[in-house]
Amino acid sequence: MTAAVYDAPAPGRAWLPRWFTSEHPLPWLLPATALMVVFGIYPALYAIWLSLHKRNPVLRKDVWNPSANWLKALADERVWNALYNTFLYTGLALVIQLSLGLAIALLLDTDRRGYGLLRALMTLPLVVPPAVTAMMFLLMLDGSFGVLSRSLYALGLLSPQYPILATSSTALGGVLLADIWQWTPFMVLIMLAGLRSLPKEPFEAAAIDGASATQAFFRLTLPMMSKVIAIAVLIRGIDLFRIFDYVKVMTDSGPGTATETLTSYAGRIYFNGDFPYASTISVITLAVVIIVSTIFMKAFRVRL
Amino acid sequence: MSFRDYDKKTFIADTARDFALRRISKRDFLKKMALAGVGFSAFNAGLLGTGYQRGKGIISSAEAQTPEEMTKWLKDVGAPFKGSKVRYTSEATPPTVVLNQIKNEFTEPTGIEVEIEIVPLEQVLAKAIQDVQGQLGTYDIYYLDQSWVATFAPDTVDPVSYYKEKPDLAMPGFDFDDFSAPLVKGLALYDDKWVGIPFDIPIFITMYRRDILEKLGIKPPTTFDEFTAAVKQITEAEKANGIYGTGLQAKSGHYSLECDWTAAIWGHGGGIFGANKKFTGNDEQGINGLKWYQEMLKNAPPQSTASTWDGQFQMMQSGQVALVNSWDEFFPGLDADDSKVKGLWEPMHPISSNVGIRSVDDVGFGEIPNVGHQGGSILGLSKYSKNLDAAWLFMQWACSKEIMTRCTLLGGFAPMRISSFEDPRVKAKAVVGPGTTRHLEVVKWTIDNVMASEPDMPLWAGFSNNEIPVELGKLLTGQDYGGDAKKCMDNVASLIDKAVEDAGLL
Repeated sequence: MTAAVYDAPAPGRAWLPRWFTSEHPLPWLLPATALMVVFGIYPALYAIWLSLHKRNPVLRKDVWNPSANWLKALADERVWNALYNTFLYTGLALVIQLSLGLAIALLLDTDRRGYGLLRALMTLPLVVPPAVTAMMFLLMLDGSFGVLSRSLYALGLLSPQYPILATSSTALGGVLLADIWQWTPFMVLIMLAGLRSLPKEPFEAAAIDGASATQAFFRLTLPMMSKVIAIAVLIRGIDLFRIFDYVKVMTDSGPGTATETLTSYAGRIYFNGDFPYASTISVITLAVVIIVSTIFMKAFRVRL
Repeated sequence: MSFRDYDKKTFIADTARDFALRRISKRDFLKKMALAGVGFSAFNAGLLGTGYQRGKGIISSAEAQTPEEMTKWLKDVGAPFKGSKVRYTSEATPPTVVLNQIKNEFTEPTGIEVEIEIVPLEQVLAKAIQDVQGQLGTYDIYYLDQSWVATFAPDTVDPVSYYKEKPDLAMPGFDFDDFSAPLVKGLALYDDKWVGIPFDIPIFITMYRRDILEKLGIKPPTTFDEFTAAVKQITEAEKANGIYGTGLQAKSGHYSLECDWTAAIWGHGGGIFGANKKFTGNDEQGINGLKWYQEMLKNAPPQSTASTWDGQFQMMQSGQVALVNSWDEFFPGLDADDSKVKGLWEPMHPISSNVGIRSVDDVGFGEIPNVGHQGGSILGLSKYSKNLDAAWLFMQWACSKEIMTRCTLLGGFAPMRISSFEDPRVKAKAVVGPGTTRHLEVVKWTIDNVMASEPDMPLWAGFSNNEIPVELGKLLTGQDYGGDAKKCMDNVASLIDKAVEDAGLL
């Protein structure tokens, strides 16, 4: 009797094949897979396909020539410069945001009155669209009337003769300011979540043994937070690698190519109509992200 | 604040209305427009706002509506297209902004809706390229900068031919001969085809601060050498007061820098391409022009290397500079009520070359070297349009004598039509004040006598927005080349010559 009950098809869906019922994993995977195919895999494959063509700007036709764009990219100084800038930007942003994020998280990791509000306020920069953040910083860093620039002049850190965004040696730093302001809170949130999940016992034992706060931080907090830190670095690193908004709005890759990153270079080429070469640079960006992420995950034994 | 498309448009519209009603200052207006990602657009719209007169609507300064007979004609010919929609994307140049405001005068009699998408210049180019690449017909009308005309020549309908082919849709008295001949040649024609109708003509003239030159006893310069001496003298005398000799639009990687550069090399007897179609910006005259520009940069506000035309205009309007060789469209804004220097700037003919201008026979790709660098644009009728005839009606209306004159009256910028220059309403506004037209005599002279045009070739849109301004930016900001103009231009020459050769244009 019991067996008969379990074997009987559910009322109203007897006509469905088994792989289309809720018992089978396929229907559950299908929506996500479809989205991934339409918005991830197809565009990536199309970009690879496009990169194997050469643009004829006069006829405006893309001609099959698998090696042309790849050889051009290898010989293109701007690609190497953009790759360097991208790594530099990502590295600097990660180090600063991680250090600040961890420091602020340690300060906010308490249940004292008012700290909940402070933690909530930390999320505010995250809700501002990056293009708007970039525009705000562009105005604040304006060499003539920008409040930040004027403050930096007053502190003697900059000279009005060398506006921060118009000087090749400082422009990347100017763009980084916007990124740091907006994304450090993201690091704070992740670090806070990690700190709050740490067990109390090791810290209590360390306190009984007379360990100082510094010792507890370096011997306990940091090692126990290593996985959280690795995941934060990975997520933020991938995001930083495709930096576009701030560069586009604040410097448009300039002065010269001082702030040109892989994505901003691809964007400039795209806007000028050479879609195959822009795709080639995008594919290079994707490949570098995959390679670096894989190495990082292996090195730090990150499992997602 | 969300900047999704709809929000952005309403934000821009609200900001424009507030500015028109004088609820916000020009500075706030420009800031808000900058926030919305409208670059040159805001600058131009800023100029437009100056046409506002208290107690009247922004459009009322033109004191007119579409004439009755034109409205009747629109009603008759537009009836079959009722309910269709015409789309065009443009930078917010002054005429576009005006058209956007008065387009209902076209929609009401015809029933044809008009959607004008206003975006920054580089996005206009990207959208147009995508549209023609896929032959999509998303846009019925293209706004084409003069540097793109050759690129898009195969994608547009010749308006003169179409006017003859479709007499039933031809606007009575449209009069193609009324368009200034140099403008037609420099802007609209490519391989003897009208790619579109001239629509906008910003052009380089020389402008000077009368008060400062008088104070320092400097005669308004007429040549590059005099200009250079005056700029240096002003910087030396006034830098301590925050006033520089000149201001530049030298933003690295931006088309504005390329415009400044072409004006500099033409003014020193150089050219962009030789008759053999090889890049010549690295020859002796070209290098002299670039060295002169480097010298000017030393006498300009440091912010110049981060400024496009917006920034240059702001330098002028806020009283930071005294002598400028740049776009005439700045002028009405300098006479605006909220300008710090209202009535103090004077227009004059562009400074002339000390060494002569290179002949058109010695340059390539249809380049016209001279001192009046033009940055005009045309309206092109897309041959992929699904509403070709409806779009054609709108284009004729937008480029008609009356509408073009009203555009000038509203913003004070240079008209395309000879009749607009002669219009008594336009002449009556040639006094100091908002939306002044007192510079138009100089502009007309410049167009008729010394107008210069960049090359007409399919790769030019890319060169002028990428290779040239990026490498110049590296030089001017010290990122590369160690200040060596020759080294920079040699590199540009190798990049451009290779691209031209690869494209089979040699």
